[in-house]
Amino acid sequence: MNEAGPEPERDQERELEALLELSRRGRAKLERLHEVLTTPGHFGTGATPAAVVYRENKLRLLRLLDETGQPRDGRPPVLFVPAPVSRYFIMDLLPGRSFAGYVAAAGFDVYIADFGTPSREDRFADLEYYVEGLVRRCVRTVSALTHQDAINVVGYCLGGTLSLLYSALHPQTVRRLVLLTTTVDGDVEGGIPWVAHRMGLAGEDYDNPRLVPAAEVKSWFEMLAPGSNSTIGRVSDLWDRLDDAPERLREVRTMSSWVDDVVPAPGRLLAELYRKLGPGANGLLKGTATVGSAPVDASAVAMPVLSVSAEKDTIAPAAGVDAIRGIVPHAEILRLPGGHVGIVAGRSAATLWKRTVEFLGAGEST
Amino acid sequence: MADEKTNNDPPLIERWLAEQQQWQRTFLTYMDSMVKNDDFLVHLGNALRGSLLAGKPYPTQPPAAASTPETPGDDKLDQILFALRQLEGQVHDLRLTLDELKNEKKRPPKKAQPPKPKEPQ
Repeated sequence: MNEAGPEPERDQERELEALLELSRRGRAKLERLHEVLTTPGHFGTGATPAAVVYRENKLRLLRLLDETGQPRDGRPPVLFVPAPVSRYFIMDLLPGRSFAGYVAAAGFDVYIADFGTPSREDRFADLEYYVEGLVRRCVRTVSALTHQDAINVVGYCLGGTLSLLYSALHPQTVRRLVLLTTTVDGDVEGGIPWVAHRMGLAGEDYDNPRLVPAAEVKSWFEMLAPGSNSTIGRVSDLWDRLDDAPERLREVRTMSSWVDDVVPAPGRLLAELYRKLGPGANGLLKGTATVGSAPVDASAVAMPVLSVSAEKDTIAPAAGVDAIRGIVPHAEILRLPGGHVGIVAGRSAATLWKRTVEFLGAGEST
Repeated sequence: MADEKTNNDPPLIERWLAEQQQWQRTFLTYMDSMVKNDDFLVHLGNALRGSLLAGKPYPTQPPAAASTPETPGDDKLDQILFALRQLEGQVHDLRLTLDELKNEKKRPPKKAQPPKPKEPQ
């Protein structure tokens, strides 16, 4: 007879050992989750100290400060315009992982428009309110504070669309323009408007707009990101991630606080974007776009332009972004590996940050 | 080596008992956080939906009244509120324009530049 016992008993022992190991691993994951959930971090706020220099409705214009709490005024001002349907802090995510912080550390006087969370009356906000109202007044405020006639503008996603429209209408006030994952060709397959178009949806009602709930806006993004649209899939992903180190998990948490904290969207703005720039209409590329009653003339965009697309972007497909060369032929096109968010705030985002600083710094003495 | 390690370990039954105690501790830690920290329940609720979203509950569909008004009166009120928001912006514009005018007055007048000689045709 074997000293360790008969074979069936050894099998049972092995099974119990395996179960014990499984139990330990599960417990370790839950302990890590507890640690992450109870550790303070950068959630919902930017990583860099900032002062509010202008407020209007829900908008706050933030000016980044240096280590001594003073604004930087060595190099030309830069205004970051994020998408109004998400939270601004993707531009300033974490210490060491902040696009705006990187540009500020290079000596630029950096401002970020935080559009805030719209409430029910803001459902009437249209493209003109954003472009000729909020964005224009942000530019004017930055110009007034810095005594510069023209400033640099960096627009992200829908914020890029607003920045492009603004630059076409007021080109003399924009020194250099950076557009990140900004769709120009509305007919390119992919992206939220295209999905709605394919599903035969009429889109939002312009005349009787609603405030589109955050959960619904989020569901549109989820439709474009397979795997994130079921609770079981998300829980399974999170459970797998709990093997990561707590520091890494804290980064993931900050990012997921941005991804999952979508804000409600003004229905009139979405209706107008869909009707003017979306599939079929494709107003930017066809030259039929208007803001209010003003026609948008893309040929007025004479300042240097850098347009950046992401290879794996499901929200703003790269082909639709790179189409800017059709309306702004002098635009520099840069296509980066990664997704819609990754190129701006992911682990390899430094490529974009570095190129942006080079681009903004070019011709500085002129 | 593996056999040697196994021989030095406490018996399986003891390790299972120790593991059970660890689970009790983990459970108590969670209970403690739930009692002491109001936000923890929100965070835990989010985690149970597969999200590490911090600071607020995972977005869910709000009641219809939150996005559209219930009565025509509410609708009118919203329109008036938004019109006031637009006025607020126009007042800011006016202020900015006044500041620009003031600053222009403060600036020393630019020297009149001699007219450029006409380029030969």
